Amino acid sequence: MKERPAKRNSWAWRLAAAVLVSFAVVVLFAGFLAPYDHTTQSRQAISAPPSSIRFRDSEGDVVRPYIYARRLVDPLTFRYEEIETERYSIGMLVEGEPYDLLGFIHTRTHLIGILDRDAAAPRLHLLGTDSLGRDRFSRLLIAIRFSLLVCPLGAAVACIIGILFGLFSGYAGRFADTVMMGAADSMLALPTLILILAARAAFPLELPPMRAAFLLVVIFALTGWAPMARLTRGIVRSLKESEFVLAARSIGLTEIRIMFRHILPNAAPALLTQALIMLPYFLLAEVALSYLGVGVQEPEPSLGNMLAAAGDVTQLTRQPLLLLSPAIVIFVFVLAVRLLADERPAKRQSV
Amino acid sequence: MLLVVSVISFVLLSSAGGDSLSALRENPQVSEETIARLGKVYGLDRPLIVRYGAWLSDMLKGDMGESISLRSPVSTVVFSRLINTLKLGVTGLAIAVVFSMTLALLAAGLRNKLLDRMIGLIVLVTASTPRIVLALFALALTVGVAGSAVAIRNDSWAALFLAAIVLAFPLIALFLGQADSELKAAMKLPFIHYARAKGLSETAIIFRHAVRATLNPLLTIFGLSLGALIGGSVIVESILGWPGIGALMVWAVRGRDVPLVMGLVVVSSAAVWLANTLAEMLQLVNDKRMRDTEIDL
Repeated sequence: MKERPAKRNSWAWRLAAAVLVSFAVVVLFAGFLAPYDHTTQSRQAISAPPSSIRFRDSEGDVVRPYIYARRLVDPLTFRYEEIETERYSIGMLVEGEPYDLLGFIHTRTHLIGILDRDAAAPRLHLLGTDSLGRDRFSRLLIAIRFSLLVCPLGAAVACIIGILFGLFSGYAGRFADTVMMGAADSMLALPTLILILAARAAFPLELPPMRAAFLLVVIFALTGWAPMARLTRGIVRSLKESEFVLAARSIGLTEIRIMFRHILPNAAPALLTQALIMLPYFLLAEVALSYLGVGVQEPEPSLGNMLAAAGDVTQLTRQPLLLLSPAIVIFVFVLAVRLLADERPAKRQSV
Repeated sequence: MLLVVSVISFVLLSSAGGDSLSALRENPQVSEETIARLGKVYGLDRPLIVRYGAWLSDMLKGDMGESISLRSPVSTVVFSRLINTLKLGVTGLAIAVVFSMTLALLAAGLRNKLLDRMIGLIVLVTASTPRIVLALFALALTVGVAGSAVAIRNDSWAALFLAAIVLAFPLIALFLGQADSELKAAMKLPFIHYARAKGLSETAIIFRHAVRATLNPLLTIFGLSLGALIGGSVIVESILGWPGIGALMVWAVRGRDVPLVMGLVVVSSAAVWLANTLAEMLQLVNDKRMRDTEIDL
């Protein structure tokens, strides 16, 4: 890999950082940002297109944004028609379905929604609804929360295993090092997704969301540690011979202390970049598993099982962009992580 | 290593929750006796270690058992599908290699700023377009263009190329990035200056000298990317309906077909290992120096 000078202030870096920060905000406040609960179904609006929000009334004056109620006119093609006599205003911080903010604050306030709270009021669907009449925008936010909680967790566990493995391998004698790196190399060469699928096959297909998430973290950790181990070992090998290690050893510090207090901090920048690069792989593994129906199960949304609807060709022809919205989210996330990792001033050793 | 993988998968698959008969067990019309009899037929009543021993000895004889869900020998099923995946993988690899090498060689020869920036952009975009995203967009596109997905759900060349391009996409990032930086680095080495001083043409310098020098790291990358290629085929094949081992794997996992999953794990791991070894042998052919030093394959 090329070495590049620090470019922390480049627009690409800032943009990528901003995107990742907004993802973090979504993860924290998904329930608040989502107008509705992700499991509520609405029989009146199945596979509906996005609500068209209007900012001007019939006289052309700017008013509070509003939508019209809609009526299904063709149940075969799911064509809806607006009823122009029924007008509903959109408001900020409206009362809606209850949820737990940050997991423990019980509240009913949502960022946006329909002001009118009678039962006949239409729902605000920024991205339309899915085939069960659930609000796709809300589901997408909750899916982002789920996927972006599980994947960094899996990546973190995998990184810790990999770093420890690499540290000891780099420090160990020739024989142990050969065996350990042999294991890591074999791991690297194996078809990971096949192994993940095989590991997944060992457990019941239908799992409650929390257990599925836990299982995913464990599987990711067990299959994803090898690149980290390889990198750590390489860095430890080169740092071991450096003068500050010799100095530390000469004042009588224990090897364990040198390893964790002296070598590890010096290796940290490169390891951090590697961790960042690994993140998308775990996200994609989750997406793949859920897409194939062996990851997170409905009704809990994840980026993968939301995409599964896009595999259905008849639905795909009707609203391609809406069905592919999780794919676009994935693309943006991976791109942002890439940009951030690329622009980080760090030396990467090629394997 | 293959042995370790097989032991781990076997224990995992056999120990935790449910087997291929659990679906039958939930069916009220199937009696306990039938299940017990079926369990005996497939040997599910014996202890784990005995079953593994039996599986391993059969395996070494070339018999991978019988797929429970497909009712046919695992080896027949897997190998007929493996050919499809190999077709797809080789085409994808070829597309990625030809595309990246052409661009990298052009960049090395022309030393054009614009081309360099374009390569950077291509690497970034290809690296951040996951196969699953691309495959779904490809599906949407074909459906939009051809009117239905039937057009691509057969063994046509169009289907092969579409799937192969999707499969090749992330590889382009890997190969192009590496080939570009390696070639640029090689062009600055002393022996290139020497060749230039000798009066060789720029084309000859690049093709005869620079490429030779950069081939080995590239071969390592090719070898390492094969595992990802097989893994990626799972997604591509499932979405675009290509009948290879990736799609078969998903079927086997969903059907809890232990012999089939085991066969697929072993065969795909062996295929990747074989390809890796091949890549290392090619390195020996390319670099005379490596033949003299000891190297363990």
